[in-house]
Amino acid sequence: MVSLLLQGLALGVLTGGLYALLASGLSLYFGVMRVVMVAHPAFLFLAAYLTYTVHTTFGVDPFLALPVTVPLFFALGVAVQRLLVARLAPDNLAMMSVLLTFGIALAIEGLLGTIYTGSYKSVSMEYATKSLTIGGVHLPYDKIIAFFVAALTLAVLFAVLVRSRFGQALRATIQHREAARLVGVQTERVAGYGFGVGLATAAVGGTVLALITPFFPASHWVWIGKLMAIIVVGGLGSVIGAALAAVLLGVVEGLVLVTVDATWATMMFYVFLFLTLLARPQGFFGGRLAHRF
Amino acid sequence: MARVLKSLTITSMCALALTACAKTDEPGTAQPAGQQQGPVKIGISLPLTGDFAEPGNGIKDGYQVWADRVNAKGGLLGRKVELIFRDDASDPNRVSSDYESLITQDKVNLVFGPFSSRLVIPAAKVAESYNMLFVEPAGAAKEVFEQGFKRLFYAAPAIASDHYNYLADYIIKLPADKRPKTAAYASLDDPFAQGTAYGLRDKLAAAGIKTVVDEVYPPETTDFSPIAAKIAAAKPDIVVGGTQFEDSVGLVRALQELKVQPKLAAFSTGPTEPEFPAAVKGAAESIISPVGWSATATFTGNQEMIKRHKEMFNGEANEDTANGFTVGQVVEAAVNAAKCVDATKECQDKLADHIRQGTFDTVVGKLSFDDQGRPEQAHMIQQYVGGKVEIVLPEQAKTADLVYPKKPW
Amino acid sequence: MRIASRGIPLLVACLALAYPWLVPNYYLVYAGALTVMYAAMSTSWNLLGGFTGYVSLGHSAFFGLGAYGTGLLIVRLGVPWVAALLVSAVAVTAFAVFVGVAAVRVRGASFVIVSIALVSMMNLVVQGWRSLTGGSTGLQVPSPFPDLHRGQTHIVFFYLFLALLGLALLSWWYVSRSRFGAGLRAIREDEDKAESLGVPTGAYKVTAFALSALFVSLAGGLYAVWFGSLDPIFVFSILIGSYMVLMSLLGGVRHLFGPLLGALIVAPAGEYFLIALGETQIHLTATGLLLVLVVLFMPDGILARLTRRRAGPSIPDETAEQRLQGAAR
Repeated sequence: MVSLLLQGLALGVLTGGLYALLASGLSLYFGVMRVVMVAHPAFLFLAAYLTYTVHTTFGVDPFLALPVTVPLFFALGVAVQRLLVARLAPDNLAMMSVLLTFGIALAIEGLLGTIYTGSYKSVSMEYATKSLTIGGVHLPYDKIIAFFVAALTLAVLFAVLVRSRFGQALRATIQHREAARLVGVQTERVAGYGFGVGLATAAVGGTVLALITPFFPASHWVWIGKLMAIIVVGGLGSVIGAALAAVLLGVVEGLVLVTVDATWATMMFYVFLFLTLLARPQGFFGGRLAHRF
Repeated sequence: MARVLKSLTITSMCALALTACAKTDEPGTAQPAGQQQGPVKIGISLPLTGDFAEPGNGIKDGYQVWADRVNAKGGLLGRKVELIFRDDASDPNRVSSDYESLITQDKVNLVFGPFSSRLVIPAAKVAESYNMLFVEPAGAAKEVFEQGFKRLFYAAPAIASDHYNYLADYIIKLPADKRPKTAAYASLDDPFAQGTAYGLRDKLAAAGIKTVVDEVYPPETTDFSPIAAKIAAAKPDIVVGGTQFEDSVGLVRALQELKVQPKLAAFSTGPTEPEFPAAVKGAAESIISPVGWSATATFTGNQEMIKRHKEMFNGEANEDTANGFTVGQVVEAAVNAAKCVDATKECQDKLADHIRQGTFDTVVGKLSFDDQGRPEQAHMIQQYVGGKVEIVLPEQAKTADLVYPKKPW
Repeated sequence: MRIASRGIPLLVACLALAYPWLVPNYYLVYAGALTVMYAAMSTSWNLLGGFTGYVSLGHSAFFGLGAYGTGLLIVRLGVPWVAALLVSAVAVTAFAVFVGVAAVRVRGASFVIVSIALVSMMNLVVQGWRSLTGGSTGLQVPSPFPDLHRGQTHIVFFYLFLALLGLALLSWWYVSRSRFGAGLRAIREDEDKAESLGVPTGAYKVTAFALSALFVSLAGGLYAVWFGSLDPIFVFSILIGSYMVLMSLLGGVRHLFGPLLGALIVAPAGEYFLIALGETQIHLTATGLLLVLVVLFMPDGILARLTRRRAGPSIPDETAEQRLQGAAR
């Protein structure tokens, strides 16, 4: 039993790391635009399919798809913000943006289904069935790789946010849009780039997802609920909060999976979501800012 | 208030004036004479998109190959066969409206069934209420036959819970020192997939083989490591998966990662798909699964179907294709015997009676049905032996010996 | 103008009543009943969405609960279908009050997230609670009219859904003229100001939430007895919820007949897309793009576009201040 719990814990931490990467983009969009991007998981699977195409057509390592997908998704993100989200009337932006991105998600799913058919696709590598064994706990290599890619990407993201001038402008925009504009930040442009960075994380996340799970066009629905729960528990708009909540929920999920069953494991996300809203609607790591949204 | 009353009066008068006319298509009325000369229209709704798209398209191929063959031979009762396909997007709402429109709007002569136990029941309800014969290729779960349908037949060798019968016999008859003592079951939350695994579980449990893990996972599950971890902790002698395709691949991968090495591993559906060996890399060896059809069998029309399928679609036929084709063969035989093919209750009843009493030569062997429409034959058991799919059970159909215990993956 | 605004709804009502007798086959009756069901659901969605501006993508949770509640009462306890329908609707409404208290604590984006989560949760519960609901095997509800043939059943349910639609429209109309409605509109304009002016925003929002859940769950219950087969993943579908939103937005959330108009466009268009483009999933893309276009270019809906003046009863264009005064009076 102890070894089973340890196994669950280990798997939970590895999955949680991936959740952190997948949720970070959502936090960014919310931060810069107060927008809940329901289409984020759909973009993840768009990236997964592109990775699949690159991998099967050219026979190269799936990670070699990144030089193509990351800039492409960055540009897509800027375009989505500039051409679509920015056009929404500001008075009901939060709600309308959900509907807008919901429509985008449906459109992506339909396109993926039309191009790739509705059947499952997967990218399986040589290491896909191997694992590292430490003291009776098996750590699958694909999950280890996913974890480290996620950690690395998040580290780069944090470095950009904290160190670079762009990051400072971005954080200023997140904290107080009007004030940022007053001190000379071009908030519109920054918001666009914020979306770009968010979608760029989706490109990386999609490639990682392609490595560890099979996928089909409707796969994104499962992820919408999970990722939304993570960012609410973490506090809307807080990238660090989302990362911590992701690991927390990943571990809870892993432990419940090995002790109870999959239904309860998924249910945990929603239980935490509702508990958070009842106890602390701004999320456990969110500040004043999240309260109003 | 007066105004409301006035409008109510006006509207109800409008309604009354129009109630005089009635539908021209009361079910069971004879078709206009002109229709008798045209093609035989067969209405089919299939999940061509959505969760069940893969098998749905396989069955569509099977139907088309069958129609092509019948038309090449001069048609049904001398009339050309025309298939009308609808996509139900794997949604039971759609499946109902599809059959509804096929029967009442397109006025088809016959309907063929859709895919998946989840869609067969709503579809069969529609067909049944319009008195239409409903031969279906994929509703194998036992619940399908418990709804009191009188014109439903499942055109495959056996219902879900009987798929593993030969394997259960084989395991139970093993000498005591070789016989497995513990078994782990993991099944998709789906009536068909669970039916197969539980059929085997119940038989083995009755024979004293202990169930150490019994997991059910929801359809959206993609990460199988935790389930594999549970199985690994229980160290079972055999592992049985009640699976469709993608989850069988996920389970095999996760079991390897968690270093589970059972003496026997059996999975439903997945391993019978041609993509399976590539999807699990080298791990397919020794994996067992029940199969209702074999590419090497010489049953009526089988080799012709495979050849025609290759010509038409430039690919290999699979079990789904065969299931679709079998539906066609059964209905074709009934139509030829009953000498009628219209949508009237008399004709459809005649067809159903014939199917209930007859025995049919099909690409999956001889088929006969009980009163609720269950087929009365058995599935074969296949295994990957030396990288090839071989039939290992039953004795009289086998192409290779069953390998037990299995090689490590 | 007066004649048009009163005459058109009357004409439409007349056509609707006559519809089952005008169409040539039962499929069209069936499709008509589905359309009216969607119209009833989006009209009741609009009781929340139109007045308060709170967008719920999760109303299919109430649809599913109403359906399963009714089905389970009939199948497991042998309750007559009308009683089962009403009891389950009341129970779902009570549940909606409970959920509403948690859900309306948060605004904007969080509320939408909660509504999405609600559908997924209910799906998990119903699918996982096998012994009660039958889980993935589904629940088979016997027809309440075993003596009618299928086509006649469609006609009966067409009228039942039509009655429900009438009830939902009437409620919306009534609320739009009440002080309660003025309070809800004030919440839409500026929730904080409304609260400071003494509008009991929390209670109002929960009431609107529960009221709109009531009609949706009635629609679900009717669906259960009409359709006869319930399957958790299809009843608790985010898509059903999003159709309610799409229909309301397209027609116009501030107008009484907006959601109805939206349903009359979207439901038949959905059928058409599936038949015309059914071989691929491109119909999903079509739905998605339609939603994007509506949100971007016509967030106020067709009715708002068609008439600067009002077409039928609608939420008047007044300033936030006027509205707040109306609410506080």
